[in-house]
This record gives sequence, C-alpha cells and structure tokens, in this order.
Amino acid sequence: MSRIGVFVCHCGENISRTVDVERVAQAAARLPGVAYATDYKYMCSDPGQSLLKKAIAEHNLDGVVVAACSPRMHEKTFRKAAEATGLNPFVCEMANIREHCSWVHEDREEATAKAIDIVKLMAARVRRNRRLAAITVPVTKRALVIGGGIAGIQAALDIADAGHEVVLVEREPSIGGHMAQLSETFPTLDCSQCIMTPKMVDVANHPKITLHTYSEIEEVGGYIGNFQVTVRKKARSVDMAKCTGCGVCMAKCPQKKIPNAFDKDMGTRPAIYVPFPQAVPNTPVIDRENCTYFKSGKCGVCAKVCGPCAVDYTQQDELVTEQIGAIVVATGFDLYSIEPKPADSPIQGYGEFGYGTIPDVIDGMTFERLASASGPTGGKILRPSDGKEPKEVVFIQCVGSRAREKGISYCSKICCMYTAKHTMLYKHKVHDGQAYVFFMDARTPGKNYDEFWRRAIEEEEAVYIRGMVSRLYQKGDKVVVMGSDISVGIQVEIEADLVVLATAVQARKGADTLAQKLGISYDKYNFYSEAHAKLKPVECATAGIYLAGACQGPKDIPDTVSQASAAAAKVMTLFAKDQLEREPIVARVNERFCAACFACKKVCPYGAVEEKEIRDRQGNLIRVVASVNPGVCGGCGTCQATCPSKSVELDGYTDEQVMAMIEAL
Amino acid sequence: MIDLAKKIEAPATIDITAYAGATEAIRAEAAKLLTEGAVAAVIGYIPGRRNGTAIPAIVTSPEKAQELIFSPACVNNLALYLTRAKKEVKGKGRLAVVAKGCDMRALAGLMGESQLKREDVVIIGVACAGVYGSGADRDAPLAEKNIARKCRECRVHAPEGADVVAGSLPPLPEFSPVEAEELARLEAMTPAARWAFWKEHFSRCIRCMACRSLCPFCYCEQCICDRNRPQAVEATPRPAGNMAWHIVRAMHLAGRCAGCAECERACPMDIPLNLLNRKMARELKELYGHEAGLEPKEKGPLNEYREDDDQSFIK
Repeated sequence: MSRIGVFVCHCGENISRTVDVERVAQAAARLPGVAYATDYKYMCSDPGQSLLKKAIAEHNLDGVVVAACSPRMHEKTFRKAAEATGLNPFVCEMANIREHCSWVHEDREEATAKAIDIVKLMAARVRRNRRLAAITVPVTKRALVIGGGIAGIQAALDIADAGHEVVLVEREPSIGGHMAQLSETFPTLDCSQCIMTPKMVDVANHPKITLHTYSEIEEVGGYIGNFQVTVRKKARSVDMAKCTGCGVCMAKCPQKKIPNAFDKDMGTRPAIYVPFPQAVPNTPVIDRENCTYFKSGKCGVCAKVCGPCAVDYTQQDELVTEQIGAIVVATGFDLYSIEPKPADSPIQGYGEFGYGTIPDVIDGMTFERLASASGPTGGKILRPSDGKEPKEVVFIQCVGSRAREKGISYCSKICCMYTAKHTMLYKHKVHDGQAYVFFMDARTPGKNYDEFWRRAIEEEEAVYIRGMVSRLYQKGDKVVVMGSDISVGIQVEIEADLVVLATAVQARKGADTLAQKLGISYDKYNFYSEAHAKLKPVECATAGIYLAGACQGPKDIPDTVSQASAAAAKVMTLFAKDQLEREPIVARVNERFCAACFACKKVCPYGAVEEKEIRDRQGNLIRVVASVNPGVCGGCGTCQATCPSKSVELDGYTDEQVMAMIEAL
Repeated sequence: MIDLAKKIEAPATIDITAYAGATEAIRAEAAKLLTEGAVAAVIGYIPGRRNGTAIPAIVTSPEKAQELIFSPACVNNLALYLTRAKKEVKGKGRLAVVAKGCDMRALAGLMGESQLKREDVVIIGVACAGVYGSGADRDAPLAEKNIARKCRECRVHAPEGADVVAGSLPPLPEFSPVEAEELARLEAMTPAARWAFWKEHFSRCIRCMACRSLCPFCYCEQCICDRNRPQAVEATPRPAGNMAWHIVRAMHLAGRCAGCAECERACPMDIPLNLLNRKMARELKELYGHEAGLEPKEKGPLNEYREDDDQSFIK
C-alpha cells in the first residue's frame, strides 16, 4: 500500500485533551507511504465516516490508518466504511492512541510523541498489508447449554422453541438447580417449585432438547459455529430407558441414612435416590460411594426388587461427542461456606459466628429447606438442635459479602431481598415469633422490591437493626447474638432461638476448570467475564459462547431469566445465518520451506494444523507438510512463534509486517 | 581437586581390540541386510585416506560392506544422513545406519520430530568405548589425553533400542570430567562475565555454518538465518549477526540437542558450541525435568504449555 490515509480522531476530548492531534496528523503526513492525513473530532460519527470515505475517493487511497480507540471498539466500523468505498476492508487498521496513550498518560508532550510513534507503527504495517478475503464457515445449528438451573432451563427452552436443537448438560442427577431448593420467591412469594417444575417437565418433553443429566463437560474443541463437545455421562447404575420411576428401589434400599444434600443435610436419603420428588428425569442414581453393594459387593436389593430390571451395577461412564454451534454457560453459583476455615477458599471464615459448632446457626438455604413444603420438616420452621419452634430468630446479612478484609468485596445482591422474604415466611408460619435482622444497608432496587422490603418491616413486623454482629455464643438453649445498632449507637444483645446467616454468593467450585476447557475468561472471584460490561453483557470474549445467570455474578431469578433469554436470543441470531464470516487473520504455511517437524501442530491450541501430503500428477507422494485449516485457526500466532524456520505466518501479522513496525521506531 | 589429579595421572587406556569385533559385526550385518534386500543402503564408516581416520560412507552392495569399519576415529554422527537435509541419501529407500549410543539420541529426537519413522530405518548400534578428540594423537591408544571430551562422561556407551548391537565394551577407565568442570566454571561466572565470555567467542565466528551443516537437527528446508524478507539474522560475520545466529542456534536446539558435539568438533574457530548446548540442556532439565533423546517424544517442554510449569522466572 503506497497511498495511505491517516485519520486522527479527537474522540471528543478523550484523546485531544492529552494528545496534540493536529501535530500527530502533521507528523503522519510526512511518513513514507502516507498520501493524506487529517484530524477530526469524532471519526466514528456519521460525518467522520463520510470524511473517511470522501478522502479515500478523492485522494485515491489504498490503505487506511484510523488513529483513535482500541480496534475492539471501532475496527469493524471503519473497515465497513472503507469497504463501502471499494477498498479491501483489511487494509484499514486502527492505531490505538486512546487506551494505549491518551487515557494512560498525563504529559501532553510525551503523549503526543508516543501517539506519533503508534501511528508510525501502524502506517509501516499497513504499507505491507495484504488484501485479505473473509473466510466463511458453516454454522452447526445446535446449541449446548451447560447447567440445568433456571438459567439453563430458560435458555434451552427459548432456543428449542425457536426450532433449534439444544443439548442441555446438568451435573446433578436432576435439573432444577438452586431454584428447586427454594421455598417461595420474592417479590411475589409464589412457590418456587410450583413455577419451576412445569418448566422442568417442558425441558424433558421438548422434542428439540437432548437432556444429559448426571453429566459433565469433558472436553471442548472447535470454534464458533463448529464446536465439538465431549460430555461425560457418569454411570447412573440405572438404565434410563428401562426405569419407570416407580421408586420401589428407593423404598427398599437398606442404606437410608445418607444425609440429603438437597435438604442441606437435614434429612436423609437412600443410596439409590432421586434428589427430590419432582426430579427431572425421575430416574434414580446409585451413589456408589455410599452403596453397600459397591462398597462390599453384598446387597443388590435394588436390582432384585426392580421390576423392569433397570438397575445395572456394571454401567460405566459414557463419553458422548456432540457437534455444537453455540454454547450457553449457565453453571450458577455456590453459597459461601461459613465454617471457621472454609476449605479451598481464599477468603477467611466467620469463626465468631459459630457456624458448624452451634447447631442453631444455619445459613439461608437451610432456612429455605425448613420453610419448604417439600423440605425435611414439611414446611414447619423447627430448629435443628431440638426440633422446637423458634420464637425469636436473628437474621444476619452480608456474611461474606462486602467484607474486603475477609476476601470478598462485592455485594451478593440477593441477600437483602431473601432475608426480607425469610422474615415474612417466618412470620406467616410462626405468628407469635419475632424476626430481627442485622444489616449494613438494604439494597432493594428492582420492580416491587423496595415495597417488599418495607412490607417486611411495616406489616410483618420484622425488626431491622443497622449494624453488624460481633459474636454469637450458646447460652443454655439460646444463641446469644451480640451486635451493635449504629443508628442509635448502642450495643445490642439478643437471646435468639435460631440464627440465619445470609451467606455470600460465590462462583461454583471448579468454575475456573470449566472456563479453561471452554477458553473463556473469568475474574478474580472465578465469575465468568462478559465481553463488555455494558454493551455485551451476555457474550463471552470467546466467540460463540454466551453467559446466563449467576455464573457471571450474583443474580436473582428475574435477572437470571432475563439474561438466559438474552443469551438464547444471541444464539438464535447466530443460527439465523447458514454461513458465518470470519476474519481472515489466520496462519498460512509456506509449503516450500516447511520441514514437517510439526512443532506447529504440537503447539496449536485449536487443533488447526493438519498434515498435508503433496503428490505429483501420478499420485506419488513427494512430501508431507503442515497445513492450516483456516476454518479452525484462531489466529493466535503461536505456530508462527514456534516454527524454527518461520515457514508459517499469520496473515495481517507477518514477520515482515512486525519487523517493519519495529524498524519504524 | 587432588583426587582428580590422581585420576589424570593414573595410566588408563582403552583396549582398542574391542573395536575390531564391532567392525566384524557391522560388516556381517550390513552384508546380510544388503543381500536380503532389507535395505537399499547402509550408512557407516570406511577408513579415511590418512592413517587413523575414518569417513562416513553410504554402502549399497554386500561387497562394499566389507570395507566398513568401526574405530575410535569414527567420530561423525551419522544420524545426519537420515534427515531431509540429505535428501539424496533418504531417496535411496529404506536405510540402515551405524549408530553409537550418542548418535542414537539424535535418532530418537528425529523420530519425535516426525523426520524419521522407526520402521523406516534399521539401526546397527555399536558398543562404543569412546572416540578420538579433535586434533588428538591417533597413534597412541585411546586414553585421557586423546579421547573426545564428550566421551569422558558418556552414559550411553551401550546403545539402547537398536535393532542389533555390534561389538562389546572393553573395561572403561575413569576419565576426568572436563565437560562438567567447564560447565561449572561457566555457571560460576557473573552474568556480565558470562556475556563477555560468549561475546569474545562469538566475535571470532566466521559464519562458515559448519556447525549447522553437521547438526542432525538443522534439517530445515530453509534456515531462518538465510531468510531475507524480512531478515532476522544478519548474514555477514559481524558481531551483532554472529550473536544473533548463535542465540538462534542455542534456542532452536534447546530441548532437542542430544549432545553429539559435532558442532564443536567442526568449528574451525574453536568456539565451545557444545558448552552452550549443554548449558541449555541443563536449564531444561532443571526447569522441566526434560532430557533430549532418551526416547522419541511427541512434545518437548518448549512447545508444550502445562499449568504446573515453573513460572518463577517471570518477574
């Protein structure tokens, strides 16, 4: 490219405040290969783009450098504008003088000098740009949804209702997630299972949805439109095709004393079990760790009593590979464990709250199970220690959340609302009981949320005390709560029958491992990162992967469902096309010089390098060389860095271009 | 150090008659393979024109096979002839190669890099007690003063993984570990002294590329140093280009070089190239527990990313 146009953007004042844009344009005009340079207040605006188009036509430009923001922001915008004038879009490049320069420097002189250097680099690169053609790849119109909580269920149903196939993978034996464990939901107090289970059944019955429960993601390969996902279907020990769900096995299982994790270990379940009565699918699994047959080889009662002979002790884990076009990650959250020293957690525990040592100190989810009609107490609020009805209950908010010194600085978002709900549920069940809530702030933004919280105080007589609790201890059959009321500046001591801790929402254990399999990014708390906090809240930076629900950050049910539908809409948008256009920034092998050591194949994270046989016209093999599948190549350039003879190069980032950029300085 | 001095003084020679047995076995095996037609050619050694020398030879008939020898003069690493750099040899068809224990490591490396298939080559391993050092007195028996440096600390006298093994090992005396001492000296230097040390050595380089021509791992169709668009390494023997070439060479061999020391033997300017190779090998062993050439490996540590890789060097 020998007639390059350089367009320096002021970005309002974002750039021009620290960078002398006029001087940058003047310096650019003197660069080799630059035929035209100018500056403008907003290059990305409509007049800015018109200016660019007009200059290309008037000055017969064959390359464009837009010195403005990050290419992540507007590269597409300007490439489109350049393309409209008939230029190849890939001869238009961004010189980032905003994020890389004006935003991070203060000294105007130095920042201007740096901006000139950045423009120099990009001009040197554009001079050696090749005209590239976009790559089209077919789209597999089949979505994978990981996680069968309310987020995954909603996303799966939406995508399936649009007519596309969906594979839903759930780690537990049943879909439902946390929402299935809740008693009632804010702000309307409708029964969680009543609104949840019909959706679960819809998933099971949907002709477009393939459900893999008790399954985990083993491996993810490929790229947007063309993922290959291997799912490990863990051995259920029960043949799903034969099982009728009659439940005789569960009734006859002699091992019945296993704490039921679904009920927060309050109830018990047999070794062959479904997590809860409304489970979907209603096929039990054998918990091999606790099953007498698997431990000692004796028993086998479930197999004997099973009418359709569905119990199969020899079942092995099965690996299923699915061809997938888009992935929705909806793996949800874990609740912060408040033991004195939680295992594998960077955050410190709350030993002072006596969780795990004082039996009547429980967490919010345990309270949900106590309040739930399907819970271990049949919906009666009875405290764990002696099964008595508690008359005074203290709720403590922000346990783990917003505690920088303990390791979590974020707000868990849902606790204010569910604690208000707990006080109401308690009042509805124990009319003469009194609820106290220790809180730092009440955060109730959301439709009908603040009204809900006010109702807890004004109608349901919950006593809210602004302040934190310093210590809990057992005194007789009471739990003494020592705290402060900072609004009046006094110490408070309450002798409670039950204490409920609103523990923080955390990322799922193992969220990082899954992220690494998927190749998506996550923050320091292991919550998955969206591509843009405001403008791309459901997309991952990795194309073709979308987020729904609390795996991205604490979320309540309405937000989760909205995001799940948004993610589904993104998937449908992707599936609306038969072909997908990809940037042609892919590696290319110089077959003449390739020595076929296949170091590139070994390092390629995308599995894009293949062995290609070169034959003569008679079909005799002349030699074997490496070859890059442009549809699979992710354009990372690892092969280029690895190749000892530099026989593979990344289009758009060839050695020649990069060396020219270095030399331009 | 006193103990070491004693060892040097101790009269220790290697009984060269053992090599005659290897010669016989190689001839017999080569003749058999060629007669049967199992291979198209045997790569081995024949006597050089001057006494006490040997040169590589590609033998294609059973009669010619009787000229093959093995002696302490058989210094070359014949793995070189199985690389794409020697296409005319590879083009002959299935090959047999005479390989010392040290050469076997290069063969394993080539197999790991898809350059050679095990089934495409018959390996005639040789039990080798040692070979002459460069410039050594070749009339005297193989002893402390004329044995090659690499043979002093050799751990692969008996080749492993060969199809047949020719000869047997004579009793092996202890030699002074000059290579280990040299490496220790290098490592004891301050970074500045080490830099100066290499700068001095590399400044003498005349860029004859003998080190590249002999290296079994320099099999690229076109070396990065010969590329000029863009030019990565200056081609003329000037300090900057010399330094660049030797750094490229060291980095490209890291984790691959099995220490045959052919580069050092071939260098007309006596640059201690194998010292650099050994230093790189030690780094890889310490960082990743990797040792080149013990077995054909799909991935070396430098083209593999592992979560538990040592990151402590990133500061």
